[in-house]
Amino acid sequence: MISDARAPVRLPPLPGAIGPIRPRPRWLEFRLLGLVAVALVVGSISLGATVNGRFSLFDTQGLLIYIAALFASHAAQVLAGRRTDQILLPTVALLGGLSLLLMQRLPQDLVTQTLFGTRFGLAQVQLIWLLSALAMATTIGIVVRSDRWLRRYKYTWAAAGVGLLLLTFVFGMEINGQRLTLQLGPVSGQPSELLKVILVVFLAGYLSENRELLVEQDSRVGPLRLPPLPYLAPMVAMWAIALVIVVIQKDLGAALLFFGVFLSMLYVATARLSLVIIGLILFLLGSALMAMLITHVRTRVDIWIDPFADPLGAGFQVVQALHAFARGGLLGVGLGAGLPEIAGRPPIPEVHTDFPLAALGEELGILGVVAILGLYLVVVERGLRIGAAAADDFRSLLAIGLSLVIGLQAFIIAAGNLKVLPLTGVTLPFISYGGSSLLANALVIGLLLALSDKGVEPPPLPRVGSRWRRIGRRGAA
Amino acid sequence: MLGAGAARRPLGRTTVHVAIVLSVAFGLLAAAAGYWGVVKAPDLADSPNDAAVIAAGRTVPRGLIRDRTGKVLADNKRDANGESYRVYAGRQISQVVGYASATYGRAGLERSFDAELTGLAGDPVSDAFAKFGADRYDPKDLTLSLSWDLQKAAVAALGKHRGAIVMLDPKTGEVLALASTPTYDASAIANPDTAKATFEGLQGSADQPLLPRATLGRYVPGSVFKIVTAVAGLGSKSITPDTTFKQQPAAEKNGLLVDGYRVRDGHHPVTGSKALDLTGATEVSCNIYYALTGLRTGGANLVSYAERMGFDAALPFDLPTAASQVTNGQGKQPGGFTDDVELANASYGQAETFVTPLQMALVASTVANDGELMQPRLVTSMTGKRSGTRTIGPKSMGRIISATDAQSINTAMVAAVEGNLGQQFTSGAKVPGITTAGKSGTAQLGGTGEPHSWFIGFAPAENPTVVIAVIVEQAGRGGEIAAPIAGDLMTLYLKGGG
Repeated sequence: MISDARAPVRLPPLPGAIGPIRPRPRWLEFRLLGLVAVALVVGSISLGATVNGRFSLFDTQGLLIYIAALFASHAAQVLAGRRTDQILLPTVALLGGLSLLLMQRLPQDLVTQTLFGTRFGLAQVQLIWLLSALAMATTIGIVVRSDRWLRRYKYTWAAAGVGLLLLTFVFGMEINGQRLTLQLGPVSGQPSELLKVILVVFLAGYLSENRELLVEQDSRVGPLRLPPLPYLAPMVAMWAIALVIVVIQKDLGAALLFFGVFLSMLYVATARLSLVIIGLILFLLGSALMAMLITHVRTRVDIWIDPFADPLGAGFQVVQALHAFARGGLLGVGLGAGLPEIAGRPPIPEVHTDFPLAALGEELGILGVVAILGLYLVVVERGLRIGAAAADDFRSLLAIGLSLVIGLQAFIIAAGNLKVLPLTGVTLPFISYGGSSLLANALVIGLLLALSDKGVEPPPLPRVGSRWRRIGRRGAA
Repeated sequence: MLGAGAARRPLGRTTVHVAIVLSVAFGLLAAAAGYWGVVKAPDLADSPNDAAVIAAGRTVPRGLIRDRTGKVLADNKRDANGESYRVYAGRQISQVVGYASATYGRAGLERSFDAELTGLAGDPVSDAFAKFGADRYDPKDLTLSLSWDLQKAAVAALGKHRGAIVMLDPKTGEVLALASTPTYDASAIANPDTAKATFEGLQGSADQPLLPRATLGRYVPGSVFKIVTAVAGLGSKSITPDTTFKQQPAAEKNGLLVDGYRVRDGHHPVTGSKALDLTGATEVSCNIYYALTGLRTGGANLVSYAERMGFDAALPFDLPTAASQVTNGQGKQPGGFTDDVELANASYGQAETFVTPLQMALVASTVANDGELMQPRLVTSMTGKRSGTRTIGPKSMGRIISATDAQSINTAMVAAVEGNLGQQFTSGAKVPGITTAGKSGTAQLGGTGEPHSWFIGFAPAENPTVVIAVIVEQAGRGGEIAAPIAGDLMTLYLKGGG
């Protein structure tokens, strides 16, 4: 809905809400999905051969359901006829498929859940989440044709996000010393996964609206040339929120992710390196302070500096992950042949959530790890490309922010697995076990798909004299 | 006033910057994966903390260890949880085979051959293909040159004494017995139910039963070291078998004056004023003759020949060994001696000289094998289901002295056991009906304690098939305690089919 009469702009014909559906073939996506299916079948046969000693699929039913769902998603998008990105889905589908194979070969009793009176094991629960995530991404990719609901209500979203955070602080369950999980009846979830999407939406809205001011106006503090100080308020607020997350939730990973996404979006929007440097300094100071004051954080840092100091105690998890990479070597030991069990358990505690990269590193080798890292870079590359081609700053920043969320999160947990950074409890997108993570990342992929379609409702015209800008002018005058 | 067009500044440049930073960060991750997966992999994969090593140790039954006749020395049992643990043939082999415990780690052969016994180590080719099979592990059974019967007899011979016995075949280096006392019950350490109590009890014991004395015990050698001096003297051509020292008979009464220190002897009544040659001096164990030989040979030659027989370094062996020494090497004189007094005393084994029983067996083995030293070894073959049998053949440590020189020492050592005067010292070492060579030692420890009782020797002297080194800690004279033990054990081996 365009209400600004002062700017007569000719609009392209809008597709109706339920217009005539013109199927549009997506051959690239089809071919890539075919490759993914072949790769997964080969992987499953390799797994079956190793574990059962038979030359057959390891878990025929689960794998076929997953591959069928991939092609169903593809078919739905063909029928919907949108010109959305064709590489994102196959890339993410391969990551999800690897996740399925990994969960199938881990002990199934790592996770059990009873749904509708049936007891499901690890791989089955993960498959259910994968299918839900796929459905979610596909639906959003097909249905969302307008960004008004995100753009207009950004402060509402931000408020909802803060509310969610507060709920977690108050009602969250403490697991392994971290207060991350919110339980609602039988369903539990980690709100920080959803929060990261909300954060990107809010930042995209805020930065796109105030970009010119942040770029073009200066306020001087001594020798430093800074953007107008009132506009730095959100940055300080973000810093505070990140610290609060660390203090109350003891969730280093989420804090690192939020702050990293915030700084990189700020840089993309303003091109001001000084802001990033100040932000980094603030973050390092905050981290150092936390490391000194909070035992949980200090332990993590100590383990990071020398996990081999106590290889069978505090450093056990990290050391065992490094051993897994070492056993894997360049080519890996093969799917199903790694992760030697000690007393019936995998050697790395929490391997399915925190250390899937180490497990895949052992079984697929460094080549496998590099390939997986490459897949994340492909996702980021598609997202950045979608951002670069978007119609306005909001959509650009939204796409860039969403892809950076995936990229940064993958980096943070992979770096924790490889002892490049202290270990934090964020999930490896699309691979780690867990519903919250899969659904939140599916939301990201769905939004990126929707954003990649240029034939949608055009962005609203810039609102000349928005509320924030008026305040800004008043401040500057 | 900002127009709609002017407001749009490209984001492309900064986006590319972020993309570059992220790509570099991911490159760093790939490098880290390479570091752990390739550079550090050899260290990590063999570490006892590696999950594969731990898991294999618990679930895969270790390879069996057998003696030279096929008797199983180390077997496996399963506990209530289905985890495998070790059971050993007896206490007699604990110092050799060691133990493998889930709690207390590994010792002995269980430690040195841990990778082979758990089946992790193999040749690169079969390892490369192992990943395609369901069974990753290929535990190898070890066959030892050790004789269970001889080992039992050796431990029984030492009885309640602390001590060690090494028996080996001089032609092949195969170790036949490697006894250390007191010994301990390795099965009780391997059994998860009794491990804690047993191990803590042993650790607190003053007798140090966990110490494998035959390989890690370092003792004052006393007169058995004279054989080293003879090897160095003949080898360096400083003496011949006929060399006599004019000043020797005269010094017997009041001792030989070396730089103000008197080297004394205890045998002069029986030889009187006769100047002794190599055989005569060895027969009566003449300290003065060997002190003079050592001084003429020189510290550099003495240490050099000792090192060629394995001194001053851990011996190449299947078990960890302590390094034996002629001197502590802190002196400025050739070879590291402080002065001629130390050199003279070391020449008959009473200075800063410390030796392991295994090292002294190698000295005797050098003489027995006509001057060529064979590397000692325990494991003669390894058999894996997948990799098949690999035989480990004999290996030479090099020729130390000529066969002629070795024969001269051989003759002297026969005289020490069988000669008219030698019989008075070491007749107990004689194998009935077989020419026996040997040298006893009575190592003075200073103070009032009883001396260590030593014997090294071999038989049959004409064609030696067994070498023995015996040390009994603080038991008295070598000829009285160690020599009869050696005689009995060589007799058992040569005649009793042990």
